Amino acid sequence: MARRRSSVRRAGGGRKVPAGVLLGVILVIGAVALIGTQAGRTPQTEIVMQTGDEGAATAGRVATGPARAGEGFFDRLFGGWNSAARIEELEAENRELQAWRDLAERLAERNRRYEALLRMPADTFGEGADIDNSIAAQLVLDSGGPFMRTLVANAGDLHGVKVGYIAVNENGLVGRVVSVGQHSSRVLMLDDYNSRIPVMGESSRVRAVLAGQATRRPELSLYPYQLQAPRMDFIVGAQSLREGERVITSGDGGLYPRGISVGVAQRQGDGSWRVSLAASQQPIDFVRIIPFIPVDPPEATADPSATPPLGSSSSVAVIGRETMTAPPTAPSPAPAQQQRPRQTAQNQAPAQQNQTPQPQPQQEAPPPAEPPATPPQ
Amino acid sequence: MSTFSSRAPNRSVLRAWGLALAVLSVILPALPLGPLFAQPPLPLAVLWAAYGWAAEDESGWRAPLTLAVLGLVHDQLAGGPYGLFAAIYLSAYLVGRILAVLMSAPNLVSLWGGFIGTAIVSIGVAYVLARVGLGRNVSVLPYAEAAIITAIIFPIVRPLYMSASPSLRPGGRR
Repeated sequence: MARRRSSVRRAGGGRKVPAGVLLGVILVIGAVALIGTQAGRTPQTEIVMQTGDEGAATAGRVATGPARAGEGFFDRLFGGWNSAARIEELEAENRELQAWRDLAERLAERNRRYEALLRMPADTFGEGADIDNSIAAQLVLDSGGPFMRTLVANAGDLHGVKVGYIAVNENGLVGRVVSVGQHSSRVLMLDDYNSRIPVMGESSRVRAVLAGQATRRPELSLYPYQLQAPRMDFIVGAQSLREGERVITSGDGGLYPRGISVGVAQRQGDGSWRVSLAASQQPIDFVRIIPFIPVDPPEATADPSATPPLGSSSSVAVIGRETMTAPPTAPSPAPAQQQRPRQTAQNQAPAQQNQTPQPQPQQEAPPPAEPPATPPQ
Repeated sequence: MSTFSSRAPNRSVLRAWGLALAVLSVILPALPLGPLFAQPPLPLAVLWAAYGWAAEDESGWRAPLTLAVLGLVHDQLAGGPYGLFAAIYLSAYLVGRILAVLMSAPNLVSLWGGFIGTAIVSIGVAYVLARVGLGRNVSVLPYAEAAIITAIIFPIVRPLYMSASPSLRPGGRR
């Protein structure tokens, strides 16, 4: 019996687990439970994270204050030494820029005329981005950790910031607001692992998805719809992407406005494409948080009385409607707005000869109108 | 030896410096001070604290609680979810206690080996938990880089966290 008791003791029955170890195990279990419940990231617990961000933002502002003040002081101090050379450099740059401005104005004018000739819709670059009501904010915290790439800016709900607004700096797109507190907001940066944004080459128009890679430059996935389209329909477009080409947001998906500068495409040794982010040319200090209202899908704004396809407002359907002859049978219901005939070389000449109003095809016969006060000239 | 001991800094002062380094490694990457202060290349000094406190047989509640608080602060600054860094640091503490017993010889190679083992296990823990907390897209590579840098620097900062003497270690002779 005595032998039996001693073997039990040797097996660990008499050993006490240290309090630190026991507490450590309990805390690990609690921490894993927090991860499992996504504490701080769900709508129910987000308020805790936002409150923490508020406090951290305030502390960050205080902590970085002396560093920022020191930077400005030394810039001013050492900037005076070479001011004459700097002025000469800026004057030369200014002369060069004036030449570029003249060229840009000429090209813009020519572009306007081409667009008018082609009846192109208004420029959709930046459509939905409310630049006039953008909110300037200073960066006060940078996650800087190994997993996440987020920033905390010192503008929040009280300043009008909402989730989904986009953040840009003077060089380009920084990211998107994913969480908003009273006085601060958290911006998911483009190089975060969870960041996937649709982009395109500015001149080649190659569509791609920009995938964040944290410590490395974001990767350009040139076949973003490969799973949905296994035939690789984009392979011809992918080949036309050029080294050094500007990459802009394409606006696909409706999360970002179209046409915001993202960076420059760079081909890697293994054949993959990465983007040198424009926003990271300089340390990010100030950001502009821009309200963005995505473009409504056509179903949301469609006229319920319209009948597809001729009732659709797309340019193809409009052209088709205007060039088709009216059916000789019973008239269709009147559309909400009267369609004006297209002004083309073919239909302008006879219209000038006889300016009597003609009933539109596909329209119900108009009610008897009063005769014109003056006869047609 | 006794002369050396009398000249050695106070143990509590060293512990305070160790804690300060751990706190700085959590806070500095969160301040917008440029890429030099990002993590990596900044080492994960909390791992030093976790291993050092475990190896020095800090059996009370202070060590795990401090690590949990540091982890939660790190989670807050990184944007969540809560618990990720806390679990990594606490698991490093628990693994450190085991490895400190296994590698209890009073020489630098043994101490360093114990820390390298702790860092490797923490990379594995981070790999599993980060995928659970942040999704499959997340990569543990930046964390691994930071942990490797931390392991390389460990011999320099070792006196801040632990002594070479085995007397206080869980498996050491008392």
